[in-house]
Amino acid sequence: MNLELEASGISVRYGGNLAVDGIDVAVPAGSMVGVVGANGAGKSTLINALAGWSRGTPMVRGSVRLGGESLDGLAPHRRAGRGLVLVPEGKGIFADLTVMENLALVRPPTDTTGRHVFSMEEIFGLFPRLAERRGHKGGMLSGGERQMVAVSRALRAAPRVLLLDEPSAGLAPRLVYELLATMRTLVDRGLSLLLVEQNVRATLELVDELYLLERGKVVARGPAASMKNDPRILEAYLGSLTT
Amino acid sequence: MNLAQQLINGLVLGSGYALIAIGWTVLLGAARLVNFAHGQLYMLGAFIAWFIMFKLGLSYFLSVPLAMLALGLMGVLLQAMMLRLVMQQNLTSLMIVTLGFGYVMQGGAAKIFGGDPERFISPLQNATIRFGEIWFTWQDVLTLVGTLLLFGVLWLVLNRTRIGAVVRSVAEDPKLAQLFGINAALVYIGVFVFECAAVGLGAGLVAPRTPILASMGFDEVILTFVVVVLGGIGSVGGSLLAGFGLGMFTALFGALVSPAYTTAAAFLVLLTVLVLRPRGLGAK
Repeated sequence: MNLELEASGISVRYGGNLAVDGIDVAVPAGSMVGVVGANGAGKSTLINALAGWSRGTPMVRGSVRLGGESLDGLAPHRRAGRGLVLVPEGKGIFADLTVMENLALVRPPTDTTGRHVFSMEEIFGLFPRLAERRGHKGGMLSGGERQMVAVSRALRAAPRVLLLDEPSAGLAPRLVYELLATMRTLVDRGLSLLLVEQNVRATLELVDELYLLERGKVVARGPAASMKNDPRILEAYLGSLTT
Repeated sequence: MNLAQQLINGLVLGSGYALIAIGWTVLLGAARLVNFAHGQLYMLGAFIAWFIMFKLGLSYFLSVPLAMLALGLMGVLLQAMMLRLVMQQNLTSLMIVTLGFGYVMQGGAAKIFGGDPERFISPLQNATIRFGEIWFTWQDVLTLVGTLLLFGVLWLVLNRTRIGAVVRSVAEDPKLAQLFGINAALVYIGVFVFECAAVGLGAGLVAPRTPILASMGFDEVILTFVVVVLGGIGSVGGSLLAGFGLGMFTALFGALVSPAYTTAAAFLVLLTVLVLRPRGLGAK
């Protein structure tokens, strides 16, 4: 199996608190991998650590390889340039910039080998609403529109692997399914995607493989089809399906 | 009092205030940083231009861009030394560090250029234009036109180009900008270099009005502070407006009341504006 993203032994420590404890995670090329878990399980900390990014100053250990090349020690903007592109949870765009300015901030890479550079036409084809709102400032957009801009911005960077952190946060369920379905379509066309989500039900329907995190550790991992029957998933997240 | 002459004086003074302040406006707006060595940079810009003109024998029109270049290079050096603090947005330490830089510059300038006042004379300073009782110099015209051009170009760059969008994105959220592939450290260095070069231009155009001294700079920092705060932090248009407003006020207050109290009166205006419009004149 050709692994586009391979991370091993990722640990993240904030002072005395070990938020992520030696996690290995891999994203095969052209697949969608989900990471689920309760609040505080370490999902966002993990995905941020992969991108080399944090709003705090954590101590991060472990190794990250993208397309077989090590990204260790690289700053977040360099990892983004190599194709490991993160859409963080919450505020993922600039409120003071218009939609077009947000999208134009990203410079598509010069070396596009093995990467698809999404044109503005493709972006507006995926999210027609953004074409109508292209001159509006980020701060004037709805939560769903902001998330669309954040994802579009990431696509403009021609990601090898897209890291998507809780895109459903604060969105109406219909928008969540639409956004995740769009992501699935892109994966079917060859994009590799690591999705962190709280919405386990939606995640299980879309991803190829699922990791379950508890207290900073992977406690279960497997193909989504089999994880649907994992007792920990059933008990904690899908209890209503069994009744 | 000749009102028209005072209005001309106000325009000229105001363009100088705005020109000296523009670097700080961008630095504060884009990097959320203050540079308390701003006044000493003005002093250094004046002395470097003076040195190039009167010791190296080059023309005034070469001395000003060379002074801007020298201050720009100094900006790279200073920012390289402060970069870790800048990236951490450690504002208290930065305030002290820039104050320290200012004192080092002042001491260094006194050692190199001496403690006596020097005349940095522009060839345009004595070339006057008269319309009846109103007069001004070609240096005044150069300062006014230079200020308007710089502000116009800067506004266009900040609001109509990708570089401007990059600077505004770093101003809003430097951490998030990294995820857009933007090297925030490089943007900070660029903004700091602009601040230094712009104050170099300000010194080149404004300093010929008065004798230059190694100890000068404090008044310029104070006036810059007034212009930047009055205009609204980071607002280019607001700074221009505040600069002209302050210039007009200074000229009229000096003529009608007394030049001795203009600084105190300017701060009274600042307080009044901030009470009525807490985010300054340029705030939306």
